[in-house]
Formats: sequence, C-alpha cells, structure tokens
Amino acid sequence: MLESLTSLAYGFNIALQPQNLLYCFIGVTMGTLVGVLPGIGPTATIALLLPATFKLNPIAAIIMLSGICYGAMYGGSTTSILLNIPGEASSVVTCLDGYQMARKGRAGPALGISAFGSFIAGTVSIFGLILLAPTLADFALKFGPPEYFALMVMGLTVVAYLARKSMAKALMMAIVGIVLGCVGLDPITATPRFTFGMLDLADGIGIAPVVMGLFGIAEVLENLGVLTKAEIFAGKIKGLFPDREDWRRSVAPIARGSLLGFFLGLLPGVGAIVPQFLSYALEKKLSNNPERFGSGEIEGVAAPEACNNAAVGGTFIPLLSLGIPSNAMTAILLGALMIYGLTPGPLLIKNSPDLFWGVIASMYIGNIMLLILNLPLIPMWVSVLKIPYSYLSSFIILFCLIGAYSLNNSTTDIYVAVIFSLVGLLMKKFEFEPAPLVLAFVLGPLLETALRRSLILSDGSFLIFLQRPISAAFILFSVVVLVAPLFSKLRLGSGLSEED
Amino acid sequence: MKKTKMTTVGGIALFWVVLGILLCYGATQLGLGSVTEPGSGFIFFWSGLILVILSFIVFAEDRRSTEEMVHETGDTNWAKIALVILSLVLYAFFLERLGFVMTTFVLLSFLLGWIGGTNWVRSLGVASAAALGSFAIFELWLKIRLPKGIFGF
Repeated sequence: MLESLTSLAYGFNIALQPQNLLYCFIGVTMGTLVGVLPGIGPTATIALLLPATFKLNPIAAIIMLSGICYGAMYGGSTTSILLNIPGEASSVVTCLDGYQMARKGRAGPALGISAFGSFIAGTVSIFGLILLAPTLADFALKFGPPEYFALMVMGLTVVAYLARKSMAKALMMAIVGIVLGCVGLDPITATPRFTFGMLDLADGIGIAPVVMGLFGIAEVLENLGVLTKAEIFAGKIKGLFPDREDWRRSVAPIARGSLLGFFLGLLPGVGAIVPQFLSYALEKKLSNNPERFGSGEIEGVAAPEACNNAAVGGTFIPLLSLGIPSNAMTAILLGALMIYGLTPGPLLIKNSPDLFWGVIASMYIGNIMLLILNLPLIPMWVSVLKIPYSYLSSFIILFCLIGAYSLNNSTTDIYVAVIFSLVGLLMKKFEFEPAPLVLAFVLGPLLETALRRSLILSDGSFLIFLQRPISAAFILFSVVVLVAPLFSKLRLGSGLSEED
Repeated sequence: MKKTKMTTVGGIALFWVVLGILLCYGATQLGLGSVTEPGSGFIFFWSGLILVILSFIVFAEDRRSTEEMVHETGDTNWAKIALVILSLVLYAFFLERLGFVMTTFVLLSFLLGWIGGTNWVRSLGVASAAALGSFAIFELWLKIRLPKGIFGF
C-alpha cells in the first residue's frame, strides 16, 4: 500500500508537468466534445487522433487518449439529459430519468449530480486501479501462452454473450475480427496471408482505418436522410448544484454504481454499457418507489452516471496489467501502446512505471478538470449541439479520412476506411454488432500466436488448456457463457435498447 | 413481406457460408501445418469452419424470429449513401494527384452543398475555410505529412 502511494506521488510528479497537463486538458476537452456530439464516439476519436500523437512522447500521448475515454462519459450525459439523445452508448440509461428531470425544470440538478457522481466514481475507480492493477500484473507473470489464449477466448465469449441481439452473430463478428486481424505476414514464418499481392497489406490491416470506417463514417452514412432535428431543451439551466435532499437520495446510488461499474469493468469484454443498465436495474429494485423510475428520479441519473465512469477505470486494469483490452475503446489504446514501442502486459508496470503511474495520476487530475469544465461550460456544450448536422457530418468524414490516411501516408487506408464504412452500415442494417469485431481484430494476432505457441509447447495436445488451472478456469467460464443461453432465454445484453 | 425477409435471411446466410468456405480453401493454400506445428493457414481454416457453422445457427435464428429484420430500410437514403461512398473513393483516388487542399475543398463542397443541402455560397465558403484550416492544423501544427499534389499544397 505504502509502495503504491509512493508510486502514485511519483505519478503526480509526471502528470503535473506542464506538457502532460496540457495534453490531459486537450484529452478531456476532446472527450467531452465527442461525448456531447452524437455520431462520433471516443473509439473513433482516439483512432483519429492517434497519428497526431506520434510526435509526442508516449506518456503525454496516452494521457491525452485516456482523457478522451473518461471525458466522453461526462459529455455523454449532457445530451442524454438535455436532448434525450445519448451522446455515447454508455449514457443511454441516463436519458430515462435525466430527460424527465429536465422536462420538469430540474435539468440543473440532473447535470450537477451526473458530474459530481462521475467525479466520485472516477476517484473510486482510480484508487481501485492503484490497488488492483499492480497485484494483477504480478499474478499475470505466471501466465504463459495457454493462459493468455484462454483469457482472450473468455473475453471474446463474454463480448458475444453481452451482445444486444444474437449471440451467434456476435461470435461471427469476433471470428471475422480474428481473420481480419491476422491478415498480413505470418508472425512466425513471415508468409504473406490474404494480402492479394498488395504491399500495403503486408503489415496487416490498420486498426485506425477500420475503426474510422466502422464507427465514424458508417454512423454518418446511417444518419443520411433519416436524422430528424433534435429538440434541444430550451429552458434556462439553473441550480447546477444539487440540494441537500438530492444528495441524500444520491449518495448510496453513487456508491453502489461506482463499485458495480468498477468491478464489472474489470471483466474482459464487459465495457461500460452493460454495467450502466445493471446499475439502473439495481437502483430500481432497491427503491421504495420503483414505479417512479423513468419519470425523473435523481437516483436513476446518479447511479448509472457513476457506474459508467467507474467502469472506464475498471477497463484500464486488464489493459494495463494484462495487455488485454476489454472493449473497442481500450483495444485502440492497446494498439497505440504497441505503436509507441511499449509492450502491454504484466511487465508494463515494472518496465514503464512512469507511464503507468503518470497516466493514473493524470486520470485523477483529468477528473478534477472535468468537474470544473463541465458545470460552467454546459451552455457552451449545448450550443455545440446547435451546429447543423450537415456541417458536423462533413467534418466527421473529413477527420476520419485524414486519420485513416495519416497513419501510414497511404491512400490504401482511405479505401479500407471507405470499405469498412459500407461494411459497418450493412452490419447495422442486419444487426451485426461492430464491438466484437474490433476487439477480436486487435486480439486476433495475439490469440493466434498464443494458440500456436501453446500447441508447440504441448506437442499438439489441446489438453494443455485444461491441464493448467488458470487457463482451465478461463475455458470453463467461456464454456458456461457459451452454453448458458441454451438453458435460459435471458441474456444480459439482450435487454439493451437499440440506440446504443 | 415474409418472402422478402426469407430471401434476405437466406442471402445473408449464403454469404457467410461462401465466405467461410473461401477462407477454408485459402487456408489450405497457405498450409495448415500440423497440430504439433500449426501452419500459416491454421487459424484461418478453423475460423472459416466456425463461420460456416455459425451461419447455419444465424439462419435458423433469423428464420424463427418473428420481427422484421431490416429496420428502417424504407428510411435509408441509398442513393445519397452511394453518392457519398463514390465521392470518398474519388477523394482517395485524387488525393495524391491533386493535393490535400484542392481535393478536400471539392469533397466538402459536395458533401455540404449537394448532400447536406446547404446553400452553395455558404458551402463553398465553409469548404475552403475547412480545407485550409485543416491543412494548417494537421500539416503545419501537428506535422502530419499531407499530400501536396501537382499544385504543391
């Protein structure tokens, strides 16, 4: 514990350097902006800004990119409360009671409790990160290829299990992601695989153009001609500070939401969306007046908003301590770490303590910045929403094209982004989810290498995955997750609404 | 309506089956290796096989499902989408030939004016400001190398 606190102090030393403070500020501001804007999310933004960070030192770059992750959670609630449109998928639940509060003239307390709840949850998750990540990293040193393979399989099956519609379709997307991720030179024999003679594909398909296409341009294409003008809450927003009664009702939901979000965020594959739904359901169940939920209860805003922020902190633990991303957003961060020449995994904390502790300390500073930024600047964020969608969509497309091109200075990547935008649009139409594809895309090469090494280790016996206790536990859990829907029609993700 | 849905469901399943088979075939060309020493095509072969199995499950699921599968198809403006896709392909084609500023100006004018329905004077103004502004931000400030083309910018 004392060692962690000393390390954290060292982290603050790094995070408080002027350059890092500036990039933290840029990150959280960008995060809030994309959180406010429907149509572009943190995943696409991180991919978009990735090329711009190549000239930075990796610590400043990761500080900025992490700021986008948690900043988006703050921004997402603004549109949910004022427009009934979730700026982010992880703010869907906030619409239910947040918008009703706004309609009753209580937009201020809704926005206020959402910002304070997010801040408290962010703090809780950062302390959880400090305590758990180093311990988990030490434990993960025992992991060999079979354990990593089993862990990645577990992550992908959990993602499929949490799919909103069909689990089989989500698994399909995971398989497609693995295949796409493995295109390029074979990591062991250097044989070109499915490159069709194109040199640009020898290094594989880039994560940035895939994400730009699937999450950025596809979203714009989907909204072409079908987007109706959103009705912005017109009333004056007053009383941003919740009163004593609001606090009394919100303290316990914020605490529960923070813990639930953090621990669920830890699980590979869970991300920030599902915990928010569970947190809302939990509060409704615990409430003496569950029938009032959906009509403007402050608990219905406080708990899910705390939960989605805490979950982001939780998702950083498997990323930083195991090198395993748990959702599309952290998958891009993993890609970024690799591009900066860092090796994500259990040794990251030991080999790059300045990065690990610097980023954690910056998250705390970023949360304070967000609290200060969000409340007074809400009118500015609202005015951003008044920009005509034709402008926003054109700029989103332009930034996606620049982001795709600039990673390798290759127009092939623009073609890839355009192809994936069409693929993404068709996936939306036919109800295939993009998140398992992106996660598997990043995990694909790691998964393949772990599988092949495991089989070489075991002399071709698949039993190796069951003979080692940790990998056996992961595989068993995956089998349970795969088989469970056969016995029960209920799946966690199946109740999620269409908008997210 | 039901017949249309069945055709769509069948078409999607067929697409995945064909893709899975092609993957398996491609994998065999790469070499599957052995279980003791998996080859370059090993992961692709198993992925292709699982894809085929899953496509049958998805087909069965979708066939059973009573809801209409393709939501909002009526609302989707496919003509506009096709035009945007075409404009992006042309953007990629001309980007290194005509340079970033010129190509971006044309693309944005098209997206704002034609697709977005903004009046032409405003579209041209915003497009030129955005093309020059983004060049300044990305090329001059962030030092990202953008193509200059025949005009040198």
